[in-house]
Amino acid sequence: MNRLLQVEGLVKTFGTTQAVKGIGFNIKEGRCTALLGPNGAGKTTTIRMLTGLLKPTEGKIEFQGLRPGEDQRSLLGYLPQSPAFHNWMSGMEYAVYAGKLCGLSAGEAKSRAKELLGRVGLADAANRKIGGYSGGMKQRLGLAQALIHRPRLLVMDEPVSALDPIGRREVLGILKELKEETTVLFSTHVLHDAEELCDDVVIIQSGQVALQGSLSQIQSDHRRPVIELKLEDKESSMEWARSFVERHQTDDAWRMIIEDAHLEDRTLRLTVLDMEKARQALTEELAKQRVGFVRLEAGYSSLEDLFMKVVGA
Amino acid sequence: MNAGKLLTLVQKEWLELLRSFKLIWVPLVFVVLGIMQPVTSYYMPVILEKAGNMPEGTVIEIPLPSGAQVLADTLSQFGVMGLLILALSFMGTVSGERNSGATSLVLVKPISFGTYIAAKWISMMTLTWGALLLGYAASWYYTWLLIEQVAFGPFLLSYILFGLWFTFILTGTLLFSTLLRSAAGAAFSSLGLAVLLSLLAGLMPKYLSWSPGSITGSAYQAVQSLEGFDALASFGWSIGITVLLIGAGLIGSAAMLRRSPALD
Ligand SMILES: Nc1ncnc2c1ncn2[C@@H]1O[C@H](COP(=O)(O)OP(=O)(O)O)[C@@H](O)[C@H]1O
Ligand SMILES: [Mg+2]
Repeated sequence: MNRLLQVEGLVKTFGTTQAVKGIGFNIKEGRCTALLGPNGAGKTTTIRMLTGLLKPTEGKIEFQGLRPGEDQRSLLGYLPQSPAFHNWMSGMEYAVYAGKLCGLSAGEAKSRAKELLGRVGLADAANRKIGGYSGGMKQRLGLAQALIHRPRLLVMDEPVSALDPIGRREVLGILKELKEETTVLFSTHVLHDAEELCDDVVIIQSGQVALQGSLSQIQSDHRRPVIELKLEDKESSMEWARSFVERHQTDDAWRMIIEDAHLEDRTLRLTVLDMEKARQALTEELAKQRVGFVRLEAGYSSLEDLFMKVVGA
Repeated sequence: MNAGKLLTLVQKEWLELLRSFKLIWVPLVFVVLGIMQPVTSYYMPVILEKAGNMPEGTVIEIPLPSGAQVLADTLSQFGVMGLLILALSFMGTVSGERNSGATSLVLVKPISFGTYIAAKWISMMTLTWGALLLGYAASWYYTWLLIEQVAFGPFLLSYILFGLWFTFILTGTLLFSTLLRSAAGAAFSSLGLAVLLSLLAGLMPKYLSWSPGSITGSAYQAVQSLEGFDALASFGWSIGITVLLIGAGLIGSAAMLRRSPALD
């Protein structure tokens, strides 16, 4: 697949703190990529370097298919975390203004603005002043103005994080459509949003890439069979669980089939090596020790487990 | 620099001046200031008579100033009040947009930093030169009605010289507005520059005749002088240097903006 953007060894130092410490990734044409990481990981800093608003201390940012002399910003559409417009303009005026700044003719800008404002659900509010828009409306206007010149790459910083549940649904719905038409890169600290929209993820933590690849590849590479056991609220059962957590690594028979065990509240979570054997041995143990449980479930680890492990939370 | 994009940016600035009513009240203030000077000069004897508790029979004899003197006094008013109002109007022109985050949307578009600064400057200058012309013309007209006519040549020359002085100081406001976060800081710095340069030029006229600060003096001279006054010969140096400094201020503003297009 065609690479649209290549980032190598990106570093940004603010005074004495290094916010981004050598990040590298590729964005493939037509794919949706999430820059995923907890707050303070360096997502905003990275994105602002891609847009040219911030100069990298070190590193390379390369767009493919840039004609000689062409401004790389003409390939980009950018929606910052909390976009600020000119509040005295109407939504329509701003979208046309953005279009003309991207080099569209007045007529073209107007028809594009009309089309996009309709698409993001602002047709009725198009002639109202932006000062009166809600957060969700501003986010949607931000999308419209970012797309006005049909950019090859749409870059968004936490596009849904600040929105209420309804605004979030609306924007996610629009993004789902958009990603079919253009290459998308967006940052988020919410795994669920990445899972819902993306093909690829770049997980960053403390300014470094912790893990990257296609979502499905990561999922299958890191998928582990797990058994979850929710115990009855009874001292004898909890006693058994605590001793089991201590015992599973010393006992040879258990060590062969269980990789990891930990107890959280009343849930015992086992990452197992051999599901068949583990299931057999565990049910026998439960029966023999007369352990009372509420629920027993065998399945696979989720992306969330992996994300938590990678970012060390 | 792309002419279409420059025009788009200039139109945006004009629309903003219109919607914030600056396009209306700034010229209005200039017109009021301009009319007040000839009117107060003309009625000064009457005002003094009414206000002062003069003994019966006192005759007040104040010679009416010449028309040229009234226009020079008008310019001096503009140089204080007018400049203050213009500097306050433009003090946040870049820093305000940068602080709000508006530049983060505009400066990721394929436009050059120079175009953005040029548009700001052009819109500032249309308001400045326009307001100055209206106010000065009003003063000229009322001076003619009440006192005497001043020839058009000296009027026009002094207008251009004073406009150049305003252009210089307000280019400073633009530069400080891209340099500093605080809008008040930009107004204060550029007005401080104006005061400093005028003072120095007043204190050492011999040594600082090349400085932009001597332009205001040149303008007063120009309006009061007789036919055949040669502006370029008298203060060509200060004009040339001022134009150069204005250019440098614009280039400096664009460079500052490139260095930090948005807040970190
Ligand atoms: N202008 C700045 N000056 C100093 N430190 C900064 C600046 N901007 C960001 N940082 C620091 O860089 C780190 C990464 O910030 P950021 O990129 O905003 O993270 P994220 O968007 O992933 O939450 C944080 O520790 C933050 O405090
Ligand atoms: Mg952020």
